[in-house]
Amino acid sequence: MTAVQSTPTKDPVLQVRHLTTSFKTDQGVVTAVDDVSFDVFPGETLGIVGESGCGKTVTSKSIMRLLPARTGFLTPESKIVFDSIDLAHANESTMRGVRGNGIAMIFQEPMTALNPVFTIGWQIDEALKYHTKLSKTERRTKAIEMLELVEMPNPERRVREYPHQLSGGMRQRVMIAIALCCEPEILIADEPTTALDVTIQAQILRLMEGLKRELDTAILLITHDLGVVAQVCDRVLVMYAGRIIESGSVHDVFHRARHPYTKALLESIPKAGRRQRGSRLPTIEGIVPALTSLPHGCRFQDRCDHREQRCVDEEPRLESVSEGCQVRCHFPLGASTGGESKGRVEA
Amino acid sequence: MRILQRFFRSRGVRKLARNRLAMFALAIVLFYGVVAAAILLFRLVPLEATRERVGPQNLPGFFANPSPERRLEHADYYLGLLLRQLKEEDPARALRSIALAERRVVDKPLAEIRDALEKASALYEDMVDRDELYDDAQVAAVIPDIERLESMVDSLFVVPADSSTIYSMRLLFGTDRQGRSIFMRAIYSVKVAVQVGAVVALVSVILGSFLGAAAAFFGGWVDHAVIWLYSTFSAIPSLVLLLVLVYMFTDTFVEGTIYTIYCAFCMTFWIGPCRVVRGETLRLKELEYVQAAKTAGFGRFYILLRHVLPNTAHLMFINFSLLFIGAIKSEVILSFLGLGIKNEPSWGIMINQSRPEVINGFFWQIGAATAFMFVLVLAFNILTDALQDAFDPKHLG
Repeated sequence: MTAVQSTPTKDPVLQVRHLTTSFKTDQGVVTAVDDVSFDVFPGETLGIVGESGCGKTVTSKSIMRLLPARTGFLTPESKIVFDSIDLAHANESTMRGVRGNGIAMIFQEPMTALNPVFTIGWQIDEALKYHTKLSKTERRTKAIEMLELVEMPNPERRVREYPHQLSGGMRQRVMIAIALCCEPEILIADEPTTALDVTIQAQILRLMEGLKRELDTAILLITHDLGVVAQVCDRVLVMYAGRIIESGSVHDVFHRARHPYTKALLESIPKAGRRQRGSRLPTIEGIVPALTSLPHGCRFQDRCDHREQRCVDEEPRLESVSEGCQVRCHFPLGASTGGESKGRVEA
Repeated sequence: MRILQRFFRSRGVRKLARNRLAMFALAIVLFYGVVAAAILLFRLVPLEATRERVGPQNLPGFFANPSPERRLEHADYYLGLLLRQLKEEDPARALRSIALAERRVVDKPLAEIRDALEKASALYEDMVDRDELYDDAQVAAVIPDIERLESMVDSLFVVPADSSTIYSMRLLFGTDRQGRSIFMRAIYSVKVAVQVGAVVALVSVILGSFLGAAAAFFGGWVDHAVIWLYSTFSAIPSLVLLLVLVYMFTDTFVEGTIYTIYCAFCMTFWIGPCRVVRGETLRLKELEYVQAAKTAGFGRFYILLRHVLPNTAHLMFINFSLLFIGAIKSEVILSFLGLGIKNEPSWGIMINQSRPEVINGFFWQIGAATAFMFVLVLAFNILTDALQDAFDPKHLG
């Protein structure tokens, strides 16, 4: 667990600016991700957390440009700069070069993420064949090497096996091996451990942590599990209804949550030993507003305990509250006790 | 190779192998396949063998004795044939040219043959004049005479020892109205049926699967085009479409050949696999391994060929067996209607030609054609059911 995160000094490997992703639906154009900006630095793990439907997966798909071709689109202001290419407006062949090679992705469901009709070895080989110029034997060696790297027992035998012969945890290891075999600079992990049981989850997280250090790959971890974020992330973005509402180092966000939503999320995690008899687990009342009928003003207003007239009238902007920390709230928590925050002054 | 290996070790194949009835059906189907291949490649039954006269008309099968009238007619046929040849300019050559398949005119001096023929003819005339076969007692009385006549006729013909088995094979199911071997025609039709079934099913499945998968995978105008195409084709009653196609080919070099059938059937039969594979692909393309293939940077066409189509193989497999039977049955129906194959025998043609025979109580031709088709279709249906049980994911358990 990272205690204090030093501010990254390297240049960001991925810069996302004003990313706005919309979908054409029967109810008109719906904006699933609204003006999201963030940086990913080499060798760091950036977590994106939020409830279902808050736009975290759409964010990752927008970066990979895997939105449904006919309905999903990025607005012209959106910029996704990777390797000095703007992925937001790159053409399909450029994207094919980036996918797998520069940015790789692993998925939530390891059971269906491997093609059932080909062997593990074939599927690693396929990625290498597509993106590298290695010879057949070199690729074979590399495949076994990758399986060793993801701590797969018996890699020489496993390369000849089919996905159905592996357990969920092993399949996720294979997925990671495939994703990392072309040495991408960024690994997007979309809920990589959600479908796994807790012990395997811990193993996979530890593995990703180790690989990140070994290969200096940046990881963009998308999850709804704050426990996972606390365990492996350096920085975290909290999303709500398509917007970033709070960002900062894991330490800051977890210990000094400033947005009422983040605070409520953290409080709704069951804690061992702290439960008092008769007390109920705190929950967040209400539901996420539908993207088709977002309220005027703050998007969290209906569920917020600290709502005031200003929250209804005007939508807060994402303001820096301290070094590396931003929050989208008119009345950030801790501001009254911790003195006037910068955001408060500006507002 | 690896895929084949894996296929034979797969759960579905093991499940299929445990099904005794299915394995028996598979053996029958394979036997038909081998026979068809042998006819096609090694001329096991040459086309001429289905056309040449092997004996008198409508001889019953299994060497059963026909009715006394029939036996007289048969003797008459042979005698008449010999008499006609003897009236030729060069009787010796004319006699040698007689070929009732393996059966030849005995190699004796002309005078001797003429002599024997006259005696036999006299006996025949005598019996015909009597014309008194009204009750069983009378019939029993003439049987010795008929047998005498037959042995006289038989003495005029010989079957060379080395081909006697083949000759008796030819008469196994009797002869049709032109004296052709029903057995040979029924066997030769196996080739036609298997050819039609295999080619039509293979082409339709490949074409349909590819179009269906492409439609679902690419969506948009590709999907619209394919859906339009198969809706249009399935809106036309298939038999009508087949008729139109058959008439379209009239007066061209493919008229009445198997190629017309291929073309007509492939045009309608691809719709089934296309629909099924399209539906499956709609499901598959949302699966994470297809998404994962996209994030790995693979091209769309590559993903379609490598990641989507192989996963619809079980559907292709089942559809192949369904279409195989469908094509065979349709070919028989078309040929029965006189719109199918004309230059080769086929079960449909045999059934068509047996109509007047059935009225006269001769069931050998229609019986042989139906039995051959029945066994193949039944075996294939059992096999298809078993295949579906073994490979369709919805039947798992």
